[in-house]
Amino acid sequence: MRIKVVCHYLGLLIVILGCFMLVPLVRSLVAGDSASAAFAIATAITVGLGLLAWRLTPVGEGRLNRREAILLVAGGWILASLFGTIPFALAGTFPNYVDALFESVSGFTTTGATVLTSIETQPQSILLWRSITQWLGGMGIITLFVALFPILGIGAAHLVEAEMPGPEAGRLTPRIRDTAKAVWSLYAGFSALELVALLIAGLPFFDALTVTLSTMPTGGFTGTNESIAAFASPAVEGIVIFFMVIAGVNFGLFYFLFWKRQPGQLLKNTELRVYLSLLLIAAVLIAIDLMINLDMAAGEAFRQSSFQSVSIMTTTGFATANFDVWPMFSRSALLVLMLIGASAGSTGGALKVIRLVVLIKYTYNQILRAFNPRAVIPLRLGKAILPDPSISRIVGMVVLYFLTIFGAFLIMSAVGTNVPGWDQLTSLSSVVSCVGNVGPGLSIVGPAANYEFIPPVGKGALMACMLVGRLELFTMLMLFTPSFWKWR
Amino acid sequence: MYIIVAGAGIVGFHVASLLAEANHEVTVVESSEEVVESVRRQLDVKTIVGNAATPRILREAEVNRANLIIAVTNNDETNMLICFLAKELGAVMTAARVRNPDYSGYFITAARSPSAARKVIRPKTLGINLIINPEVELADAIMGMLSSLYPTPGENFADGRVQIREFRVDQGALADKSLADISFPQPGVVAAISRSGKTFVPAPDEVIQKGDHVYLVAHRESMDEFREMFAPPQHPVRNVVVFGAGRVGFLVAEGLEKHGLTIKVIDENTTRCQEIAARLERATVLQGDATDPDFLIEQGIPSADAFIATTESDELNILCSLLAKNLGVSRTIITANKPGYVSLAEAIGVDVAVSSLLQVASRVTHFVLHGGAISAPFIGGKDVQAIEFVTSATANIAQRSIAEVGLPKGVIAGAIARDDTVTIPPNDSVIHPGDHVIIISSLSATPAVERLFK
Repeated sequence: MRIKVVCHYLGLLIVILGCFMLVPLVRSLVAGDSASAAFAIATAITVGLGLLAWRLTPVGEGRLNRREAILLVAGGWILASLFGTIPFALAGTFPNYVDALFESVSGFTTTGATVLTSIETQPQSILLWRSITQWLGGMGIITLFVALFPILGIGAAHLVEAEMPGPEAGRLTPRIRDTAKAVWSLYAGFSALELVALLIAGLPFFDALTVTLSTMPTGGFTGTNESIAAFASPAVEGIVIFFMVIAGVNFGLFYFLFWKRQPGQLLKNTELRVYLSLLLIAAVLIAIDLMINLDMAAGEAFRQSSFQSVSIMTTTGFATANFDVWPMFSRSALLVLMLIGASAGSTGGALKVIRLVVLIKYTYNQILRAFNPRAVIPLRLGKAILPDPSISRIVGMVVLYFLTIFGAFLIMSAVGTNVPGWDQLTSLSSVVSCVGNVGPGLSIVGPAANYEFIPPVGKGALMACMLVGRLELFTMLMLFTPSFWKWR
Repeated sequence: MYIIVAGAGIVGFHVASLLAEANHEVTVVESSEEVVESVRRQLDVKTIVGNAATPRILREAEVNRANLIIAVTNNDETNMLICFLAKELGAVMTAARVRNPDYSGYFITAARSPSAARKVIRPKTLGINLIINPEVELADAIMGMLSSLYPTPGENFADGRVQIREFRVDQGALADKSLADISFPQPGVVAAISRSGKTFVPAPDEVIQKGDHVYLVAHRESMDEFREMFAPPQHPVRNVVVFGAGRVGFLVAEGLEKHGLTIKVIDENTTRCQEIAARLERATVLQGDATDPDFLIEQGIPSADAFIATTESDELNILCSLLAKNLGVSRTIITANKPGYVSLAEAIGVDVAVSSLLQVASRVTHFVLHGGAISAPFIGGKDVQAIEFVTSATANIAQRSIAEVGLPKGVIAGAIARDDTVTIPPNDSVIHPGDHVIIISSLSATPAVERLFK
């Protein structure tokens, strides 16, 4: 493995990241707030170190192999999170470095779990930077990198595969760079649309911008303490719901719709149908629960349940209501949605609907085989047959997903033993929420609370969960297998 | 360009890899899932699992916007069908690998009555623009080496007026001299040098080393004088052994037989031996094992002038030719399916290894090139190409001299052919529309060269 070559590209990646710090810097200078110096220094450090790493290392002959690509992706995410911390650290936003890092990791992985106790008192430039980290992390910094630089050849395909969420997601076009360009332009296009829509709905520019930058990546940071509830506007909620749903759809389907004019791909897609049905079922069931147990009016109940269901299932994590005080059924339903997550190839996190579908079909086939062992039953997705290796990968991934949750659940339970109010639900929901890149959990990490009180060890465990969850486990965990580093 | 490659065998994979590296959009269609998986892992191309000879799969591969479809599955009939369908569905150009020589010519249907016109079916009628027959081209190349006095095949340009030939620098007269100091008896340009497995376009002050392979561009008629400079005269080839009676072996034996050479063909398969014994008029067909020295000595192989190994197995070819060399055959030629073996085989003592794959790749890349290129063979490996352009009136280089436009790095002008005259640069003569210009370019500089002629 040519670590120096990987460093070369990591350097370039960091330079791009540094360039994005210019946006909050400009904002800070215009507003004249206290964070200008922090952003100026952070930009200088990031771009400077990036350029240094880039210049001091060789380009390397030949293309990146798979291992190098994986190291580049995993390293890129870790470095982005570390460098993203610099503005927070210099501006003194957080009392300690762990908190700053938590916020940065939570941003890039589009989790949206915050440790800020009072958001509105922060300089707007800092809030803008939080949202920008989410926007970059949503469609993927590595994919953006591939779209910008035509230098990686086949290595680029490994990179995009390692970063894009979902099984078999990835290539839409013959050249992987065109795919990266297509998904990023779709992503930027939808973001622009949402911004305009929110402005029309009457939101001030800054709020519209931060909400947009957090909606499309299914992130969840807002510039307000009360999330979207602070705007108290049905129009804003409607727009945000619409774009969250969009962000949770496989972007490949939009590619076929807009570039190839094949709406059939969109309409006949199994995953999309299941995704939309689940959203609708969850919203209706929760609304009924709210009407029966909280005596809510039907309209209000549906408004709240639909926003919360969409926000949780797409793993965004916005809130318009404190769903932690909702009846047991609604809370449990939301926890299940947190586990399922959005579609493959979207910006959402968690297990992905497609894996659930495959797993259910697979289990059903096993039942059929139990009473007729000689039956040959292929696993169909729409018209296509899913080959056995793909099924094995999905089963393996799901098992690993739950093992990760179990492990982290035990760690969090140990960490929280002496914290007042900390129950098992806190441990479980914080882990499920972080691995799935959702944001809010239940109990004392619910939508009205934050993650500030968690001890540093717990924060570390959750950060690991977020990174591992964003890169869908394998990419990160491969780095911890000894044979990854050995010669072949 | 958008190119579909149907069939990801050795040839398909290699062609797709070359085209993807040249930054073309490539989709590979292949029916075996395992093969697709390995393509997906190694190349920046889109892959589709399925039978490319069906309209459904072709549509999925967006054949309607394909500039070129290359059908290289291992079945002639499938390839022809793919091209036919692709053309019907809107592909601009089609190329098919067709191995059976009966397919590559004209088909003439029998006339129903004496007065009725006979219907001629050409490959073009089937929608095939280019027929690639690797075996025929390989056999031609091998025969070209043996029927002339040159150690390696030459490439012809401008209707045969200009040639590029490879010479090995063995004697001291030329070694350790820089190109600028060498004076040739006739106008000629050293277009490329192949040194320890790498081929490159030399700078004017490049020093030739002993053991280099030098590629020379010159007028065909003056080539003999260059040959005498480089290589000691060889006695002509009379007795040739062909090992392997496959398609290539048969074509070579048949061709050499026509040239009046004495041929012995060896194959292990009795049925195949009987088949080709019936088809060859004078050649001796031997059934036996060419890895058995006793058998070879018994059959008088050591006194042959050349040993050609053409079996499907590269390893067997290499081994047998080394054995023949050891027994005293002066020239050994092998065919290699794996391009990686070409330089390896030559390094361990085989005189010439020819790869069908590189032949096909060169045909295809020539086809893909724009800008009036009419032929673009590779020179020694796949790093350097010799490209023949016919200058159009609107080309950037028309009415200007080569010195005036300035060629990019890694590019040399080889020759300019106009009517009956051939001029060899460096000179300041102005290029007219209609001139054939032969440019030698490293692969990376090819796009820049193409722009000059657009």
